[in-house]
Amino acid sequence: MKILVSTKRVPDTDQRIRVLEDGQGIETGNLPFIINPFDAIAVEEAIRIRESQDDEVEVIAVGIGSDDYEEQLRTALAMGADRAILVETGSHVDSWNAACILAAVVKSQQPDLVLMGKQAVDDDANQAGQFLAAQLDWPQATFASQLELKETGLRVHRETDHGIEVIQVRLPAIVTTDLRLNEPRYASLPGILKARKKEIDRLTLADLGIEISPRIEVLNMQSSSTNRQCLQVQNADELIDKLRNDAEVL
Amino acid sequence: MVNTNTADVIIIGGGVAGLSTAMQLAERGSRVIVIERERLANGSTGRAAGLLGQLRGTEAHTRLLMDGVKIVQELEQRADVEIFVQTGSLRVASTTDRAQEIKDLVAMGKSIDFAIDHIDRDEVAAKLPYMKTDDLIDACYCPTDGHLQPAELASAYLKIGKRAGVEYLQNCPVEKILIDHGRAQGVETAAGTFHAPAIVNAAGPWSYLVAELAETVLPTAAIGHYYLTTRPDEQNPVDRLSPAIRDRHQRIYSRPESGGLIVGLYGEEAIQYDMEQLPVDFDMSSLKARQDDIHVAMLIHATQQRFPWINERTPMTITAGIMTFTPDGKPFCGKMPSVEGLFHCSGFSGHGIVQSPAIGVIMADLILNGQTDYDIEAIEADRYHDVAGFQDRNDITAKCYQMQSDYYGRVEGGSTQ
Repeated sequence: MKILVSTKRVPDTDQRIRVLEDGQGIETGNLPFIINPFDAIAVEEAIRIRESQDDEVEVIAVGIGSDDYEEQLRTALAMGADRAILVETGSHVDSWNAACILAAVVKSQQPDLVLMGKQAVDDDANQAGQFLAAQLDWPQATFASQLELKETGLRVHRETDHGIEVIQVRLPAIVTTDLRLNEPRYASLPGILKARKKEIDRLTLADLGIEISPRIEVLNMQSSSTNRQCLQVQNADELIDKLRNDAEVL
Repeated sequence: MVNTNTADVIIIGGGVAGLSTAMQLAERGSRVIVIERERLANGSTGRAAGLLGQLRGTEAHTRLLMDGVKIVQELEQRADVEIFVQTGSLRVASTTDRAQEIKDLVAMGKSIDFAIDHIDRDEVAAKLPYMKTDDLIDACYCPTDGHLQPAELASAYLKIGKRAGVEYLQNCPVEKILIDHGRAQGVETAAGTFHAPAIVNAAGPWSYLVAELAETVLPTAAIGHYYLTTRPDEQNPVDRLSPAIRDRHQRIYSRPESGGLIVGLYGEEAIQYDMEQLPVDFDMSSLKARQDDIHVAMLIHATQQRFPWINERTPMTITAGIMTFTPDGKPFCGKMPSVEGLFHCSGFSGHGIVQSPAIGVIMADLILNGQTDYDIEAIEADRYHDVAGFQDRNDITAKCYQMQSDYYGRVEGGSTQ
């Protein structure tokens, strides 16, 4: 079995993110970048599937972007991915184009399963998995909180607004991962050392035989206001008064 | 709140060192302003594990910690909060040199009537069923040790300090220290200028930068530290009062926390921080370990040697923080010859929580009376003043880094210091 896992490089959103004054991006100087947390869950799930199977399972991590993406692919390798592919693109890639590139990688690698985060925490688009399923015409199971490999396919618990939905999909399929699917491991010492030595396959769009053109243009970015003020109220009546008249939320 | 912008003492830094000093001063009638760059108790204090091992290499240090417990017990009454958790503590040795350390420690403890004794392997196993014990050569047990809960301790300092009239300013980095004719006059901040005849530098990892504002060299360095906290595990229940453990060979310490286990590592390698490079509004609680952080991997690896049920797949939280180390692992408390009225209170080298109760008393003594009953020779702030090899930032960082690396690494021989 072959599992492809997509890993996006994103800013660590626990840090204070500052938008550039011209609104054309964010300050990246001191900002640490991490593997998208939902993608880390996808990597973890792929490794768990490999650990639970008697048959051989290969886990391939894919990154799309600049040279910097190697850092996140090394993270995936250190966690336990068998190999990694970096598709080199210069500019920002929107969800549709990410799906186009992934579709080309899928065609060349022929995986049985694609695992990816339900969304990336930088743009929160929540589209690439669905676009990819559409482009490949594969079954999709989004927002997975539990996976079970069956003879006939994959049984997936999906987290919906109305509760857990249990569905079964045939393989090959696209599964996008939700927060509660698992808790990603930390890489072991040998894992980190091994990951440093592993080769990363670098592919260009020409290698994949595709061209992309942006579908989305970011016009402007702004920081949301995060000014919070704390004050202590003496009693419930005062609290209700503040909520009603100052905050105007009641 | 109205502030007049003048006080008797201005304290730079709202961690346990500053909060304890502020409380002690205010209780003795001083008007105190604490100026914190970000939020109170959200720097090293907010990340600390708070282990309290009272028996130290010197009688002075041991007394400071034992007095600290008495101060804490009084605070618990007055602030109505549990701070000290008396779990007892164990040191374990799996090598002959570490066994000799334990032998020396027990002899030294007994010589000053400190409750400590050897304990055999079966007893260790009975106390800590979740720990690997089959490789132990020796162990010692101190029933009166434990840990201080950092958040509760800080909130007690704050509660009692507030009652005594301390004023606390947050999100207010100090930009300048005002000095006139060699005397500290006050500080400039974004929120205005504040005047006081005495200023305390209790800025933890930032303290060397604060000292630089007064053209003073303070030989401290900021060094990263990690510990893990496991979630409660039915197979390996950790009692709330399970003893703390120190295994110097594996370079780890451990204590119970909310049904799980805290395990921290003083590794051979650590992250060095250049505090000047961090954003002005840097929030230490935002420090996070990457999934493939080598220091975390080393922490988990060392942990697994003593607690084989913990591995990289174990559900856990990694806490990352920054410690303030000095070249000899002892803090700097008091004045330096360079500026009159500027007191330093920093460099606790991973032991700020447990030293803070008595340190507050010492600082208040020094600021108000110019002297203290405590034996402070080892922690005097001017001990590296003008000493060659301790003036250049790179030299200082290298020496502090070495101290961190040696902290559990070196083997203590004979009469330890």
